[in-house]
Amino acid sequence: MATVTASTPRALPTGLLKHRAVHKLLLIALAAAVLVPLANARWASGSWPAALTVDLTKPLTSASDWIINNRDSHPLFLYFFGYVSNAVVISVHAVYVVLLGAGWAGVTALGALVAWRVAGVRLALGTTAAFLACGLLGMWVPTMQTLALMVVAVLASVVVGVLLGLAAGLSRRMDKILRPVLDTMQVMPAYAYLLPVVLVFGMGVPAAVLATVVYAAPPMARLTALGLQGADKEVLEAVESLGTTARQRLLTARIPLARKELMLGLNQTIMMALSMAVIASVIGAAGLGDRVYQALASVDVGAALAAGIPIVLLAVVLDRVTGAAGDGTEGQGRAGWAYALAGTVVVAVAGRLLGRLDWPDAWTLNIAEPVNRAVDWMTAHLYSGVPVVGGTADWAGHFTTWVLDPVRTGLQGLPWWSVLLIVATLAWLIGTWRTALTAVLAMAAIGVLGVWTPALDTLSQVLAAVAVTLVLGFATAVAAARSDRVERLLRPVLDVFQTMPQFVYLIPVVALFGVGRAPAAAAAVVYALPAVVRITTQGLRQVDPAAMESSRSLGATSWQQLRQVQLPLARPALLLAVNQGVVLVLAVVVIGGLVGGGALGYDTVFGLAQGDLATGLVAGAAIVCLGLVLDRVTQPTERRTGKGA
Amino acid sequence: MTTTATLENPPTTDNPVFSVDGLWKVFGPKADRVPEDAELSALDPADLRARTGCTAAVRDVSFDVRKGEVFVVMGLSGSGKSTLVRCLTRLIEPTAGTICIDGEDVRAMDKARLRELRRHRAAMVFQHFGLLPHRTVLDNVAYGLEIQGMGKAERRARAAEVVTKVGLEGMEQRKPSQLSGGQQQRVGLARALAVDPQVLLFDEPFSALDPLIRRDMQEEVVRLHREEGRTMVFITHDLSEALKLGDRIALMRDGKVVQLGTPEEIVGSPADGYVREFVRDVPREHVMTVRRAMKPGDCAGPAHPGGLAPDAVVADAIKVVAGSGRPACVVENGRCLGVVDHERLLGVVAGTELRGGAAGTEPRKEAV
Ligand SMILES: Nc1ncnc2c1ncn2[C@@H]1O[C@H](COP(=O)(O)OP(=O)(O)O)[C@@H](O)[C@H]1O
Ligand SMILES: [Mg+2]
Repeated sequence: MATVTASTPRALPTGLLKHRAVHKLLLIALAAAVLVPLANARWASGSWPAALTVDLTKPLTSASDWIINNRDSHPLFLYFFGYVSNAVVISVHAVYVVLLGAGWAGVTALGALVAWRVAGVRLALGTTAAFLACGLLGMWVPTMQTLALMVVAVLASVVVGVLLGLAAGLSRRMDKILRPVLDTMQVMPAYAYLLPVVLVFGMGVPAAVLATVVYAAPPMARLTALGLQGADKEVLEAVESLGTTARQRLLTARIPLARKELMLGLNQTIMMALSMAVIASVIGAAGLGDRVYQALASVDVGAALAAGIPIVLLAVVLDRVTGAAGDGTEGQGRAGWAYALAGTVVVAVAGRLLGRLDWPDAWTLNIAEPVNRAVDWMTAHLYSGVPVVGGTADWAGHFTTWVLDPVRTGLQGLPWWSVLLIVATLAWLIGTWRTALTAVLAMAAIGVLGVWTPALDTLSQVLAAVAVTLVLGFATAVAAARSDRVERLLRPVLDVFQTMPQFVYLIPVVALFGVGRAPAAAAAVVYALPAVVRITTQGLRQVDPAAMESSRSLGATSWQQLRQVQLPLARPALLLAVNQGVVLVLAVVVIGGLVGGGALGYDTVFGLAQGDLATGLVAGAAIVCLGLVLDRVTQPTERRTGKGA
Repeated sequence: MTTTATLENPPTTDNPVFSVDGLWKVFGPKADRVPEDAELSALDPADLRARTGCTAAVRDVSFDVRKGEVFVVMGLSGSGKSTLVRCLTRLIEPTAGTICIDGEDVRAMDKARLRELRRHRAAMVFQHFGLLPHRTVLDNVAYGLEIQGMGKAERRARAAEVVTKVGLEGMEQRKPSQLSGGQQQRVGLARALAVDPQVLLFDEPFSALDPLIRRDMQEEVVRLHREEGRTMVFITHDLSEALKLGDRIALMRDGKVVQLGTPEEIVGSPADGYVREFVRDVPREHVMTVRRAMKPGDCAGPAHPGGLAPDAVVADAIKVVAGSGRPACVVENGRCLGVVDHERLLGVVAGTELRGGAAGTEPRKEAV
């Protein structure tokens, strides 16, 4: 499939594909003809048969009880997890104290000067403005709490990620073992990581930091390995020919050669850590995420926005600064850094002497009230009954009744074996029998766990949201690929949207649509859209210009060109876009459990909130399985390297 | 196996720098069995691949590299040249055979000893330069010294000297990406020279350069060799480069050395049809010497008209003979070795002197 060439655009590969596809279909039909009647006779159709479920509630509850009872006594906890947990608490606290000790002026100066050193004056100004805005919104303390957690989590993620990446990059055996694990971790919704750590560490800062590390370390590891493996072979050979030891090779050649990937890894890790640090408010991390979470719980959009804006500002600043560090020419002189450090110290000391460490109350701007008034106005005037177009709540209602409900009813009405069959067929057609097997097993596991019905509910939301995402995404991408102006306009928007943590998307949709399944789906669409648009646009734009030119010379209209040349040739990119869309949509749909999305996401939150870890863990496991199914069913032959990369 | 000039030549006073004997490198599963098995080792490349899945990149190669000479290994792409030169310092681990440097068995060296060899005795220049992109020119050149643990000031001073020697003064602080291809290769050359190695190994160093730059660089190598007399092993796929630089040339095909000899021997007496085809278009008058073209025997006069040195090329002799209109003498140490006339010289240009047969090898023996 990947060997689509310019000279024979379509005829051969599709012919081959059809040929193989027909074979696969025939085999599946054969297997189905034998197995389905058997399964039907034994367990009947309809929902997943009760006989095939395993009730894990008891063992899980007793396991969780055991852990809770032994947390303070068992040596494993006392001497290992206890230490880990203490170390995390102490480091987060230490960073927090330092940040507060530096005062708002000191922290702002530090941020600005670092940004100035690595990225220039413009970003330094932007950083200053961002920090000041955090203070203005009355969010200085939560911002520092989030930052403290982030600093510790990012440092730990980088250490873990680099070590794993070194192992995978230097040893082919380790690479073989780690790669599938990291690939799979990359597609897991952030939510799935919360429950296992809570089980071990309980709710609180240690669990939040560790969940963040688990979520944020894989990109660092992947990119480190990628950078090490991608090093110019001849340079390494030249270095070896001069008689270097393995250590010298690593330090003087391999790591410097991988600089670009390492910086990209750092960037991705920071962005994922921020995203997770915010979500981890659900398991007891204080900070900005917690403010959003609390506000959303009481549908206080104004308060949520006041905490959401700092998150967005933080995300944009962190992304730009670390991104610039990756592109920039290295080693801009020690003197500049010395000035930067000295400047920070001076400002921090000055702040202390003036007694202005805390952000002054008088300087805060209460946006919650006006925002809430605006939302109230919207609720009154835009929610429903707007002539001709209808209101936002009407749209949400229509989407629920006309799309979400039928899809859900349809899915849940399907006989269980036919769902497995569909999964198998899709995964096999697009991938190998291996991916098909993984997908079917994962889907069956959902049934065995006894959450077949809520899982199909989640799935229905995912499917609906993916459909909307793809329609909007492809349409936008086609426009952007055909017009430079559209692309130029779109690019900064996509840049900002792609850096925002998942959690933030819930705020505007709640403001617009209230709570329920439709807003959850809408948040998912908004979250997944930028990646889909970006990948598709790139794919369409990278179509071999020679093929385009030859079709133009044959007098093809632009519509013909798009349909007959661009889309077929961009097929790999389109497949990748679908895969990314599905993965990203799932990540947000389950978070949508917080705003009335129900289903698996809700079970997870419920489990956490009620201390009913068994329910939460089962739902979390089902989310993992669903993630696996969706990824494998849409998995193109070539893998992505990162979120929308 | 082939016409190995090493055997025909009388032993030189110095021991060879590199002495390679029966060297094999086979890539693929269970590579060890191929050189051992008489049947397998006789197969041609396609059959071997079909039978075992292995590629024999170097097959049963033997040669000596003498002190101070430029030893060229030439062959088409895929003939095993790069593999061969990497085996010399075990950047690629040989499958069978022996390699000695100054009489010391390279294959028996432990890791530390091998590093010593790479640090001080043999340095390599690569086709695509292999420079570290994050370092300046000066630090790239000083890299080998840094690896050896030399202090910063000292190695930079040494590197600066070498940078000047290769004509890059003023560019010390640039990054490789800011240099042209030719300049980058000068850095590669300087890096190898900086460690003052006994042997320089070149793997197609100029193949990636434009023709004019390539000529400059070849002259640079000739100059360096003239000034320092360093032993060099030079890999190339370019016949004219081989003829220009090589004191002796080993011509490889499918991993085997098909002929080993001086440029003159390769051009003058090709070992087989493959070599003959290879050298067909060479301007012979620029390679063949008058020693080979002359009619041996004293001119029996005191004047020695023309007075050509025996290793003057035929093209020079033509100028002399055409200028004077008479045959010219070939003179060495005041003794007349033979005479060249129109007929002899034209024979060389036309390539018909080969039919003369023994004329090729006979006079050489007494010469060296
Ligand atoms: N690492 C390797 N694994 C397998 N085959 C190789 C490897 N390196 C080289 N070869 C094969 O060995 C042969 C000689 O390669 P090489 O020494 O690079 O030739 P040259 O430098 O003359 O172009 C080629 O057929 C090549 O495909
Ligand atoms: Mg080569």
